[in-house]
Amino acid sequence: MGGRGTAACCTVFLVLFAGVASAQPKIGDPPEASNMKLVGTSDLQARSAYQPTIHHQGDRWIAYIGHHGGTDAIPDPVNPMTGKAEPNGTSIVDVTDPVHPKYLRHIPGQEGKYESGGAQMVRICDGKDLPKGDRNAVYMLRAVGSQGHEIWNVADPANPVLVTKIGEGLKDTHKSFWECDTGVAYLVSGAPDWRTRRMTQIYDLADPAHPVKIRDFGLPGQEPGATGAVPTELHGPISTGPKGNRVYFGYGTNKGGFLQIVDRDKLLNGPKEPTPDNLKFPEIARMPLSAMNGAHTVFPMPGMPIAEFAHDKDGKTRDIVMIVDEAIQNECGEARQMVWFADVTTEARPMLISSYTVPEASGNFCERGGRFGSHSSSESMAPVYYKKLAFIAFFNAGVRALDIRDPYHPKEVGYFIPSITAATDKRCVTIDGKERCKVAIQTNNVETDDRGYIYAVDRANTGLHILELTGEARAIAGLP
Amino acid sequence: MTRSWPVIAAMFLALGGVSALAGYEMSPPRAGAWHEIAWPFPRDGWPAGRAFRCGEADCGAEVEVYLRPKLGFCNCDSGVADDDEVDRVADVDMISPRFTPLRAGEVVDVADMRGRIRAYDLEMPEGKRTAIGIAVSHRCDLMAVAAQGRGDAARVQHEVLTFLESDALKRWMIAALENG
Repeated sequence: MGGRGTAACCTVFLVLFAGVASAQPKIGDPPEASNMKLVGTSDLQARSAYQPTIHHQGDRWIAYIGHHGGTDAIPDPVNPMTGKAEPNGTSIVDVTDPVHPKYLRHIPGQEGKYESGGAQMVRICDGKDLPKGDRNAVYMLRAVGSQGHEIWNVADPANPVLVTKIGEGLKDTHKSFWECDTGVAYLVSGAPDWRTRRMTQIYDLADPAHPVKIRDFGLPGQEPGATGAVPTELHGPISTGPKGNRVYFGYGTNKGGFLQIVDRDKLLNGPKEPTPDNLKFPEIARMPLSAMNGAHTVFPMPGMPIAEFAHDKDGKTRDIVMIVDEAIQNECGEARQMVWFADVTTEARPMLISSYTVPEASGNFCERGGRFGSHSSSESMAPVYYKKLAFIAFFNAGVRALDIRDPYHPKEVGYFIPSITAATDKRCVTIDGKERCKVAIQTNNVETDDRGYIYAVDRANTGLHILELTGEARAIAGLP
Repeated sequence: MTRSWPVIAAMFLALGGVSALAGYEMSPPRAGAWHEIAWPFPRDGWPAGRAFRCGEADCGAEVEVYLRPKLGFCNCDSGVADDDEVDRVADVDMISPRFTPLRAGEVVDVADMRGRIRAYDLEMPEGKRTAIGIAVSHRCDLMAVAAQGRGDAARVQHEVLTFLESDALKRWMIAALENG
């Protein structure tokens, strides 16, 4: 009996060990993929990556990629193009030929490690689209930690020129948004006198060389001089511009999140003094998530025809917002962060209608190391994918392609988990007071271009992966 | 049978360790007249923590303390930066969303962790009370402490800080942040 018990214990141990071992990626392992394939890569000088923005610039396609700060091991990676150690900032990569991306330039950012340094966010507008821009310029707006925001002219992307700086001595900056047709920019900032690290400073950047402040905006309770409970901090807004007249704000990261729907005209032209009444004035509705989820990205998709409702007398089309939470704890040390779809057709009564997560058991993702859960979605509204397919960065589960044509029933139709490399940084948890580290891919952000290429970047220094769809997923997009 | 002895011994050792850990986690802090009470707040984004009460006879007025770890909720480099952060994270809003600081906060060390402490007036249905908010950090994690009591803020603060320095509570706070 004792012998059989021992054997059973050993068998259980071996099975468990085998499960863990198979979940742990190794250098040299092939990528894991379904209906997506790798086209090209750039190591991004082994810098931790946040937002990629891909811009069609003349006859070239240029990727602008924001970075977090450096790591404990390498606070300032060496730029091989200059031979100098440079704090992480913005990578500029020519992806005209996606098979052979060409690294053009690194613009250093703020000194500091992880979330405390770098220049995470980047948005691009052509001068010819901005009401008062230099027609020959291409402007890059980037968030540079507590140093504020900067605008660069990247018409020659290999030789960017600083145009101006906005706001210094901020508590933080983050996921800003810029309307290229009006120049209105919603800069996620931490104004020193506000009670939160992240709120919105709205600027008129129609002439990027001469920024004009419009107002500060946040939630009642966050404004200077307020007392009592402080509402959850902002993550980032997305505007539908003057035509849509809505700005969707996502609050929270992995907790206490909500979607706020705001009347853009009232926001820009209403009373601007940051009093509780004035801050509430442009708000149309607020939809809370569970206290266990936050809202990193809130991506609007107004007027979606829903096939299932085609024969209904009312409600054939719906206004949808996709909400993506951000996982922040390694190895599933928090509630699952995932993707939610909200029907906001009746704006005063928005309602969650569906959700999506990668099945954990499909890859033993809680054991792989690093974060597992969603972080962000693609934000391009180019026709190739808009309202058809969405791409979600899911940390150690890579990029996931969702068929969202029926947002009441989103369906995964593809995925790509890049291979780790020698540059991939470890991620650690503390067990009984001791650090235990693993190395895994940490796909952090994803964006697409008008040609249909998908750009995934890695938080753990693995670089940029340029992908394309195959099979069923490609057919949904109508790509040849 | 002989071959199973190492397995049995390992199981006893493991069970003993688990029991010791469970006993340690459940044991009340041995500090004066404080006794543990049930976590009195509804579920929110963070798991429930531990709550303690000290009666009027021992603390001069009834005082309650609520503390819990908030993992990954702190700037890893700058720690607890300012009083606004104490207002945001210290859980005073669980007691009442209507609180007003009495004065600027100050730096505090609790269980060898650096942070800030701040005293508040708290508006409650039954009248005003005093609240204390404390946030201290360990790497990227926070220990959030809120307390409420009747009477003088300085006295409530003194009772709370003395209690938090008890060995059992210090060990629990460190373990809670170390082990997630």
